[in-house]
Amino acid sequence: MKSTLRMTAVTAVALALAAGAAGCASDKATGGSGGAGADGVKQGPGVTDKTIKLGVATDLTGVYAPLGKSLTQSQQLYFEQTNAAGGVCGRKIETVVRDHGYDPQKAVSIYSELSTSVLAIPQFLGSPMVTAVKQRIESDKMFTIPSAWSTTLLGSEPIQVTGTTYDVDMINGIEWLLSKKLIKKGDKLGHVYFEGDYGGSALRGAKFAADKHGLTIVEQKIKATDNDMGPQVAALSKAKVAAILMSAGPRQSASLAGIARSQGMKQPILGSNSAFSPQLLATPAKPALVEGFFFTSAGAPISADLPEVKKLADAYAKKYPGQPMDSAVVSGYGNGAIVVSALKKACEAKDLTREGLIKAHRSDANADTGLGTPMNFTYFDKPATRKTYVLQPKDKIPGGAVIVQEATESELATTYQPPVGSY
Amino acid sequence: MTTFIELLVNGVSIGSVYALIALGFVIIFKATEVVNFAHASLLLVGGYVIAVLHEDLGFWLALVAGVAVAAVVGALVEFCVLRRSRAGDQHVLAIVTIGVDILLTTELTRRIGTDVLAMGDPWQSQVVQIGGISIAQTRIAALVTAATLITCFLLAFRYTSWGIAMRAAAEDRETAALMGVRLSRVSMGAWAVAGALAAVAALFLTVFPTPGLDRSTSLVALKAFPAAILGGLDSTTGALVGGLIIGLAESLAAGYQNDVTFLGRGIGEVVPYLVMIVILLIRPAGLFGTRELARV
Amino acid sequence: MSSALSRALRPTVIAAVAGLVVMLVIPFYAEPFLLQAGLFAMAAAIGAIGLNLLTGSTGQLSMGHAFFLAVGAYGYVYFAGDSGHELSGLGLPTPLAAVLAVVLAGLAGGLFSPIAGRLRGTYLGIASLALIFIGQHILHNAHAITGGANGRDVPPLELAGFSFADTPELVVFQVPLRALEKLWFLALLLLLAAAWVARGILRGRPGRAMGTIRDHEIAAGVMGVPVARYRAGVFVLSSMYAGLAGVLLAMAFRRTVPDYFGIILSLEYLAMIVIGGLGSVAGAVAGAAFVSLLPPLFTRYGDGLPLIAAPGAEGVSPAEASRILYGAAVVAVVLFFPGGLLGVWGRVRASLAARRTSHPLTRMEPEEQPT
Repeated sequence: MKSTLRMTAVTAVALALAAGAAGCASDKATGGSGGAGADGVKQGPGVTDKTIKLGVATDLTGVYAPLGKSLTQSQQLYFEQTNAAGGVCGRKIETVVRDHGYDPQKAVSIYSELSTSVLAIPQFLGSPMVTAVKQRIESDKMFTIPSAWSTTLLGSEPIQVTGTTYDVDMINGIEWLLSKKLIKKGDKLGHVYFEGDYGGSALRGAKFAADKHGLTIVEQKIKATDNDMGPQVAALSKAKVAAILMSAGPRQSASLAGIARSQGMKQPILGSNSAFSPQLLATPAKPALVEGFFFTSAGAPISADLPEVKKLADAYAKKYPGQPMDSAVVSGYGNGAIVVSALKKACEAKDLTREGLIKAHRSDANADTGLGTPMNFTYFDKPATRKTYVLQPKDKIPGGAVIVQEATESELATTYQPPVGSY
Repeated sequence: MTTFIELLVNGVSIGSVYALIALGFVIIFKATEVVNFAHASLLLVGGYVIAVLHEDLGFWLALVAGVAVAAVVGALVEFCVLRRSRAGDQHVLAIVTIGVDILLTTELTRRIGTDVLAMGDPWQSQVVQIGGISIAQTRIAALVTAATLITCFLLAFRYTSWGIAMRAAAEDRETAALMGVRLSRVSMGAWAVAGALAAVAALFLTVFPTPGLDRSTSLVALKAFPAAILGGLDSTTGALVGGLIIGLAESLAAGYQNDVTFLGRGIGEVVPYLVMIVILLIRPAGLFGTRELARV
Repeated sequence: MSSALSRALRPTVIAAVAGLVVMLVIPFYAEPFLLQAGLFAMAAAIGAIGLNLLTGSTGQLSMGHAFFLAVGAYGYVYFAGDSGHELSGLGLPTPLAAVLAVVLAGLAGGLFSPIAGRLRGTYLGIASLALIFIGQHILHNAHAITGGANGRDVPPLELAGFSFADTPELVVFQVPLRALEKLWFLALLLLLAAAWVARGILRGRPGRAMGTIRDHEIAAGVMGVPVARYRAGVFVLSSMYAGLAGVLLAMAFRRTVPDYFGIILSLEYLAMIVIGGLGSVAGAVAGAAFVSLLPPLFTRYGDGLPLIAAPGAEGVSPAEASRILYGAAVVAVVLFFPGGLLGVWGRVRASLAARRTSHPLTRMEPEEQPT
């Protein structure tokens, strides 16, 4: 009884003191900032007369560290080049890089920090992470470019999925297999895919194309910790598939290709864009990957014969010597360019607020960074482009891959309606 | 039928690697009654050393170095951490190995960075054809190595003085100590042996068909937990049988996932744990584990 | 009267008042980042108290705590969420949904307790690991209930017309209170309640029974403690604490993410109770604060520290530094401070008290010193 009394007293005193302290002036009491800079440009969070702060929420220590590192480095390179050329709107770009290590809780904390300190997020890695804060991104009107290509992230005005989504890639890929006579109508296709929205998106695309062409999909769902594709190959070999679709990680691709080839299975393997990484070519998996293995990509490979890409390849190799040049290098750089181009437009409209930035970005119907396919940003319930490159791993080439088919939009892909906000 | 045999072979060969890891758990548990959650990082240590040294030293020397380093690291963990711990509770010691695991894994993944390190093994991606079924040489090597090592340990436990000391320590620590068994040496030896086994397992987990060692390799060690426990945490035979059961269950569940879609796809990873729960319900101390008898 | 006054001014009471004042004032000053991190820490503290009852006080190792957190989080979302496109939900009033979610977590614990009752020590620990993997499989595959890999939006709690969401803002002392600030007060209240209940259990008869089971199960049985019933009961209770933590986490996340409820989370909870101090409520809270605040604070302020490289640069990154520190803390606590952070605090307090009292004339051996 006594202790209850004491607790009540403690609480009462604490409440009184707290009320007193809370009543003192707090920074938060001033409300939202805003206002205009000296040059008459309206400024949003993270923007001053001298700087524009951009946030990067990436994975540098978790399972997707290889991807995050390339993306971040190439993006840093782009912003440095922009600053060296005078910056944007008379302001220098400053990046706030935060590493969530592919942990949703950290990603949410990081977003809470960025939500008040930066104008936009040119890189947010991992679709579970972006999905976790999607509501907040929408209510904060935070212009965000996710580094994930699943359909889950479509349908949100501030979120710009760049390039194609995994399902569109798969449709274009299957069309390509058909056009090259690698498969024919009525065939069975094996599809090994990761649990989750990456694999789910890809599977949806594959099923759509299969339906239209009278193909059958033999599904093999795996998890990220499955490293040995022996059982999957055995099952697909039993099902007598004509080709194997692969929407998992590079390790799984290497294992799948290695086992299939060692058992004399000659079927073509077609991977999603995350199914290959150039590091694999330095491992014993190489012989299996340079033969009959293809993968799709919305972005041009670093070996592409485009002036902008060549410039990037040189600059990147100079700044980060010896580092792998995977497709993420082009993607990160391109996303930096997309944000800077939106910033420039917003500057012309004298509105560097979050709303102004999104408005500027969404007005661009034919954005061409020179790094691949031009994109249309005026809608957000469909992928910004439906053109897919088909690439093939090749040794001793920057980025470890060459183009087999230039960016092409198959007729089937144009009729495809991607699911919005799910997979 | 071919598919079934292929899955069987695959399961047995991967199961034998799990058995090697599980054997490490069991040896440490027998000697010290501690569950070693740092086993994953010992795996990574061994694999990393082999991968880094194989170009300079050649594969076999690198393998020896990897096994030696992992054994030394294991012994050091015992010497520097577990021995100095004042907590008598085995749960607390198990949790301290989680701390050790975090430390070692963080440093090693930082070193590995974003690379995929090849092991430089002599088998590469070659296969052997046996009766219409092709088996990777690495898998045969894994099976033979695991079988040899496990037989050696079973014999060592029975006939060497170290093995007898270890069994005595597992039976009754105090009595063993009174009989002149140096418990500290026994437990340090156990940790070193577990480290060495982990290095060998790391090799077979990262060679063909896996492309090499990278930061996610250590996750596989988790699969050896159900293997160790369903065989019985204090039974070396149990580790062998447990490893094989887990390997087979995983392989068959993944290979026949299209026939059991009602369980949800991708059941392969869950099946080992389901098998473990079922076995533990029937035999709470695992298949070969000693039941703790309580006399009052 | 003077004795009442002196009792009111006792350091512990003063510390409690000060602590409470600080916790109540924080939302009026702190930026969203700190509030978010603090919210996660408070939710974790509730979960850690539950695990400490099970592992610290009763000696049952559980590695399945993350599973029960998931049951709480997803239970709340399912009970409170509306049925819609591809998703089903019961659309119950949110406070009822929260209570039901906690009960559901308790039920899940109860379902597992036959297994828990059969297994001993380490076997139980690793068997409970199975819950994590089975749980992950269900979270990813039961689309209609869990939303699959996508997760589901978490409906904000509404209590008698008062909504714990960003809008409408509640303005107190000219400070607009949005979701994070409102949830902060809710979390604080729940944490205090959870701690109070756990303290009551530990200080009473059940607490002594649990301690006896931990120290010697057979002796406990001989002394008339219904061991099996207690073990099952503590398992259910601990699951309910995890369920409550899960509900709070879901609200703090505003979206359920299946990948979050994995083995790493379970291991983190074990680290919390060891770092904080096994078997005590305050220890669990301290450990939860340490483990959940360390990584975000390092990521946020790590750039300014020496020896730490910027993210992406060569060297030890902030995330790695926080992991190393966290691993080292687990090891150091077990090696040097067996009582955890709480034990350290106890020693400091004892030495302060010893300094204040007059020195005895005769020299005593350390173990004879009054504490």
